[in-house]
Amino acid sequence: MSLVDTIMTWARIKSPWILHFNSGSCNGCDIEIVASLTPRFDLERFGIIQKGTPRHADVLVCSGPVTRQIEKRLVRIYEQMPEPKFVVAVGTCACSGGVFNGCYNVRGGIDRVIPVSAYIPGCAASPQAIIDGVVKLLESVKGGAAPEAAAPEEDGNG
Amino acid sequence: MDKEQDVVAKMREIFPFPEGSIAVQRARRINAEFREGDFDDLFNRTVSAGEFTMLPAISGLDQGDCFAVIYHLAREDGIVLNLKRIVPKEKAEVRSVTRLFPCAELYERELMDMLGIAVNGLSAGRRYPLPEGWPEGQHPLRKDWNKESLDT
Amino acid sequence: MSPLKDVDIAVGPQHPALKEPASFLVSLRGETITSVNVKVGYNHRGIEKATEDRTYLQNLYLLERICGICSHTHATCYVQAVEELAALEVPRRAQYIRMLVGELERLHSHLLWFGVAAHEIGFDTLFMYSWRDRELVMDLLANITGNRVNYSVNTIGGVRRDISAEQAADILKAMDTLEERIKYYINVATEETTLINRLSGVGVLSREDAASLGAVGPTARASGIPRDVRKDDPYCAYAELDFKVCVSDTCDVFGRTVVRLRELQESCSMIRQMLAALPEGPLTVKAPRKVPAGEAFSRYEAPRGEDVHYVRSNGTEKPDRVKVRAPTLANIQAVSKMLEDRFLADLPIVIAAIDPCFSCTDRMVEVRRRGARSRELMSWEELRRHGIEWYRARGVDMGTLSRKYITR
Repeated sequence: MSLVDTIMTWARIKSPWILHFNSGSCNGCDIEIVASLTPRFDLERFGIIQKGTPRHADVLVCSGPVTRQIEKRLVRIYEQMPEPKFVVAVGTCACSGGVFNGCYNVRGGIDRVIPVSAYIPGCAASPQAIIDGVVKLLESVKGGAAPEAAAPEEDGNG
Repeated sequence: MDKEQDVVAKMREIFPFPEGSIAVQRARRINAEFREGDFDDLFNRTVSAGEFTMLPAISGLDQGDCFAVIYHLAREDGIVLNLKRIVPKEKAEVRSVTRLFPCAELYERELMDMLGIAVNGLSAGRRYPLPEGWPEGQHPLRKDWNKESLDT
Repeated sequence: MSPLKDVDIAVGPQHPALKEPASFLVSLRGETITSVNVKVGYNHRGIEKATEDRTYLQNLYLLERICGICSHTHATCYVQAVEELAALEVPRRAQYIRMLVGELERLHSHLLWFGVAAHEIGFDTLFMYSWRDRELVMDLLANITGNRVNYSVNTIGGVRRDISAEQAADILKAMDTLEERIKYYINVATEETTLINRLSGVGVLSREDAASLGAVGPTARASGIPRDVRKDDPYCAYAELDFKVCVSDTCDVFGRTVVRLRELQESCSMIRQMLAALPEGPLTVKAPRKVPAGEAFSRYEAPRGEDVHYVRSNGTEKPDRVKVRAPTLANIQAVSKMLEDRFLADLPIVIAAIDPCFSCTDRMVEVRRRGARSRELMSWEELRRHGIEWYRARGVDMGTLSRKYITR
């Protein structure tokens, strides 16, 4: 089976619902996430549907370097998601803080706060990269090996 | 730059600017510095005599030996006056200009949060831009502040 | 009959990603908004402080990322201030390339806004169409700058990339298509009674209020205030271009829509002019590492309105102070006024109509009933649907409009 067939099969078994959250980014990645859902890129053909609430979400697609004031909210959203749940860090600042690393009001990446299952770098991450990353995550989940979630690190960078 | 010079002349009529403290920097840019006197009176009269209809921004600075608050005033014809008010650190307070420019509210709250300059006459309201729970006395834009001061 | 209780609804904090996502505490009497309290600052990252620790060139890459939708705006506004401090004369070819990217940015931004606004009122077909057309602009930006977002076309003293004859031809071809599509959107917006009914009289901001509250950009222009930094305080080489400042006097969301659509037309025209008159010459002048002490105040007409950067230099290679006031911060203060005495159902589109920097993310609404112990959680999606249903019950149905416009 080709990769697309595999994904389509998986999607028929379980159609992943995603929640999109911005933890303080410049919105560049957020717009690209939305663009991935429009017809040209069409993430929805993989059965992915965007939901408005964490209680129905399987995958948290998250941008931004996590500002101090957003942090508690991000944790609350993660806790409200039912198991099994996955987190995708979209964009360089979600992965590592990016250009905002060292800024006093920024934690420095999603995995400083909640476990991350997949990292999609790029500034901004393009729709193709986002689709590639999400598909890779789905594939690894189907394959039984959920990607090792990185545990939140001790705060060393403020 | 006749229009700019006209504005400078009007301002000199309103207030005795010391030599060198008011000048046309380039087309559509006038800089003026205020150290002592009745600032509120100068501000109010400048806005009406100079026909400044917009206040795009208020910049607060820590200049080392003092603070400065720059009121960036603009006219419909594009001329901008950067009116810098020197504010002593020992008495870091200014009066709100929201009576003339309601939009100044958020810009003034920013002075309070980021530099710790008190703005008198602002109605009670939530802080901006720092988050709730930000510790007292921590003002990020002060030159002697760095983020290590936050670590508890 | 007991009087209607006042209800407070808190909207936010993850709301249509303002450059600074906001939280709105909305007080309701029945369905009518009695007051709105705006809280901003959720996106505060500490960028201004960070600029003091970076060189002027490093700051270009940082400031570009204040906002991913208008990154060229912030980069150009900043670099203009630095060039003024360093007394650099930027070559004319570079000025034109800066304007070109700036107008392409306006195109993608307004098309983005148009789709988002359509989505907020339930007209999803228009959302999909406009974002499909937006992709034409994204391809052009990626073609000439190497990136869809955060184009990094500026350097201190000029631009980093040139436009080839082939690229110019690609741009002109795309303009042909876009101009057709824009005409179509203007027709839809100005002739579809359902759409007109939905947007007219909504989010009213009188000319006096727009002026006193400091509104900028299309928000101000839709209230009859003909302010546009490209005309009033020209930068780059805008004084050499022929274009109109687009104004409406309806003072409502409909006006804000028409102003942006007409600006799309003006931008296409400007792009054509720029390519026809693109000056020959170098792309940069050499910039000093240390910038002489001084102060500069730079202004730029972002898609959302006036953006300003103030830069203070001290003779070193790092700035002493960088202050940024983005347009949404100026417009957000007018939102409370626009929502006074309006219905809760109007809230999503009125907020969207100032074109806050956008993120289509989860937005939770806390419903606080006076006197109650617990809070209810409502998602933005539910609030958006509330608006759509509320209007549908009153005969304004975007759903039928969507079906009408699906032609393929």
